[in-house]
Amino acid sequence: MTWTRNSLVMLASIGSIAAGGSALAHHSFAAIYDTERSVTLSGVVTNVEWLNPHAHFFVDVETDDGAVENWDFELASPNGLMRLGWRRDSLKPGDEVTVVGLRARDGSPRANTRSVTLADGTEMFSGDGQQGGLL
Amino acid sequence: MRRWACHRLIGALALAGVVLAVAEARAQWFYHQEPDIPRLADGSVDLDGPVPMLANGKPSLAGLWEHDDPLGYLFNIASDLQDDVPFQPWAREVFEQRMARRGADDPNNFCMPSGTVMKHAIPAPFKIVQDPNLLVLLYESRTIFRQIFTDARPFPEDPQPAWYGYSVGHWEEDTLVVESMGYNDRFWLDTQGRPSTEQLRVIERFSRPSFGRLEVEITVDDPGAYTAPWTVRQTMHYLPDTDLIEHICQEANRFPEQIGLEPAE
Repeated sequence: MTWTRNSLVMLASIGSIAAGGSALAHHSFAAIYDTERSVTLSGVVTNVEWLNPHAHFFVDVETDDGAVENWDFELASPNGLMRLGWRRDSLKPGDEVTVVGLRARDGSPRANTRSVTLADGTEMFSGDGQQGGLL
Repeated sequence: MRRWACHRLIGALALAGVVLAVAEARAQWFYHQEPDIPRLADGSVDLDGPVPMLANGKPSLAGLWEHDDPLGYLFNIASDLQDDVPFQPWAREVFEQRMARRGADDPNNFCMPSGTVMKHAIPAPFKIVQDPNLLVLLYESRTIFRQIFTDARPFPEDPQPAWYGYSVGHWEEDTLVVESMGYNDRFWLDTQGRPSTEQLRVIERFSRPSFGRLEVEITVDDPGAYTAPWTVRQTMHYLPDTDLIEHICQEANRFPEQIGLEPAE
């Protein structure tokens, strides 16, 4: 874990307290995600897509029966994330993470990210997942 | 260089406390020291400072602005009204249909524009560039612009329907009154789906009571969708020492595959 990343995480966490609004997205969040179905999952990052209108990252999660399920976690837009202190390499393949999100209504392994906690315990905030969607 | 920057950052955070730490966090990646703006002793912008003036003696509205509390308006433009907007019967029916589908058909979902009214409530900064004869709004969200002509020109006689219409402005004392028409009927006024028609006229009254505060009163006059004009008010604050960032919705929009829909008409 580099100093730079720790500082990013710290900044992102602090920034989320009062500056989260700048990273919020709008859009038909409720059409995709269920605000009543929070999910917390741990696993290893397999890919990061730093793309508009929303960044995504993917995590291999081991299921109860030992299988591996690849989850798609949606983030805020890159411009919103940057205003919270993120960079495209704030998450990298191989990182061990715990993600809190709101699960997709269709039951597929997808969620809108609320927060990401890295192996050292630092937390990264992704705007307000309840607002989700496109800027 | 990186270590130096990190140490400097740590020092700033430690000295300044949480409030300044937040500002520092936001500024790191797009920081530039903005000259010639009123500041407090700690270096932060003086929101109550004097309003800069244009060469014609009118207030300058120029700068980077961010909505104080956009989300309520974004979902429900009528959130501050005692009653809901005065729907025509068909408009209420359309609105209720859109609500029932949780906004899945919002053109926004397919990277189409938000329209003038919703754009004011988008939770992303916008920049105003202004001279006496023209005001340009540059929206970070979707990288979209609007032109407001303040050179006393009339509306075009036969405007063709457009997402952002045609806007002209004039001053009433220190308030810039912007009238817009020539809209299409394809955008929603908020993400819940309040509709509009090609009869829509929007009147925006921009005022800047102090350096760091911008107020916009928005009147929606659309007899095609509403039985009477209605007005909402929104407030913005100045965002110093940073700038717009591009946002290209079309790059990798996954909404259609996420929802299993084709783009709305």
